[in-house]
Amino acid sequence: MKKTIRFVLNGYEVTAEVAAHKMLLEVLREGFQLTGAKEGCGQGECGACTVLVDGLSVNSCLYPILEVEGRSVTTVEGLLGEGNRLHPIQEAMVENGGIQCGFCTPGIVMSAKALLDEIPLPDEARIRRGIGGHLCRCTGYVQIVESIRRAAEKMAAQGERDS
Amino acid sequence: MKGFDYFQPGRLEEAYGLMETLGAEAGYIAGGTDILVRMKQKIIAPPALISLRRIEELARMGRDRGLLLGSMTPLRALEKSEEIAASYPCLSQAVGSLANPQIRNVATVGGNLCNAAPSADCAPPLMVLGATLTIGGPGGERTLPVEDFFEGPGRTVLRREEILTGIAIPERVPGTGSAFLKLGRVSQDIAVINAAALVIMEGGVCRTCRLAVGAVAPTPLRLRGVERLVEGRRPDPELLAEVERGVRGEVNPITDVRSTEEYRREVSGVLLRRALEQAVRDVR
Repeated sequence: MKKTIRFVLNGYEVTAEVAAHKMLLEVLREGFQLTGAKEGCGQGECGACTVLVDGLSVNSCLYPILEVEGRSVTTVEGLLGEGNRLHPIQEAMVENGGIQCGFCTPGIVMSAKALLDEIPLPDEARIRRGIGGHLCRCTGYVQIVESIRRAAEKMAAQGERDS
Repeated sequence: MKGFDYFQPGRLEEAYGLMETLGAEAGYIAGGTDILVRMKQKIIAPPALISLRRIEELARMGRDRGLLLGSMTPLRALEKSEEIAASYPCLSQAVGSLANPQIRNVATVGGNLCNAAPSADCAPPLMVLGATLTIGGPGGERTLPVEDFFEGPGRTVLRREEILTGIAIPERVPGTGSAFLKLGRVSQDIAVINAAALVIMEGGVCRTCRLAVGAVAPTPLRLRGVERLVEGRRPDPELLAEVERGVRGEVNPITDVRSTEEYRREVSGVLLRRALEQAVRDVR
């Protein structure tokens, strides 16, 4: 069973012909060559495949592709700013040692984005809850939490300057 | 995972019709965070899934004296609801402890019940809150108390075409307190044991007590024997010790990868006692 779907991907209207049983992750990686989201466990435990659907974090490995019809999907590739500038969350991950092997990073960045969109300055407990759906096999959690905290502070300061 | 067809009806009648046409092996899918995992693990291989996400009437949250939850309400909506946090703390606490943000953004309250895991975190709180379920099917609607819904691990009273459409929670009366506690290996884990308690107090005496526990029997369990022990008495240390002993006698746990029978029996008593204490402290 094949179907044509339309949705917004990283700000662009896209159309894709997909097999009904595909998950969003497969279509992103194989159809659109967006390989930022990774398949880790494939079962909703590790969070490596996390993307945003209508602004909410979801495990794209468990998200049936036909459900994205008419919705807006943001992957880590969609965070890139003008002139290929990294998003402040990505910058903070690089600057604060939030990355080791990097496999979990795109997913964690997306969960951090969803968290900071909802709560601009979360405390540590709230950050840890926000990334509770991620496993980092390098176990660099302390630096990841620190990176998100620094990113939040930087973005809040930036927001104040802009307003 | 094997290929399958995927249908997205916009109305309940359409969904029942599809299920009748597609035959015994087709399945309904809500948020999908359990059924898709079982399909990936090759435990089940339905040739067709009927998604309930496009049926608007299932996703509504409303009021009719108490609270009405459409079965497709995402757990995130329950977690964020100030009304649920204020009036039904045990449900709020249960949802907050369930899995992780990505799962709560798509998993639904109805899906959590329909999977009928003995450890389903939504079950004990809905049981102590006295929730009623509405089930729809080609022949019409029926309603039943949530504790009559479960038949065994993964089994409910739902007939093949039927869909759990809504959950009705009675209005909170003054003097009520409730609490949910869960024991997992790590936080946000599948429960080794979960427990909910609700009390309605009058002048220091417990007029109504409802206790429920999960993952210690083939279905989530109301502990009616222990409830009778509590009602009409003051929650003093002597009674709390009796509660602990009573719970150990009423549960029927198994040994599995998450825990042993002996541990579950022992600790379910402790967890229920603490839930009861917390519910009493919550009385407003």
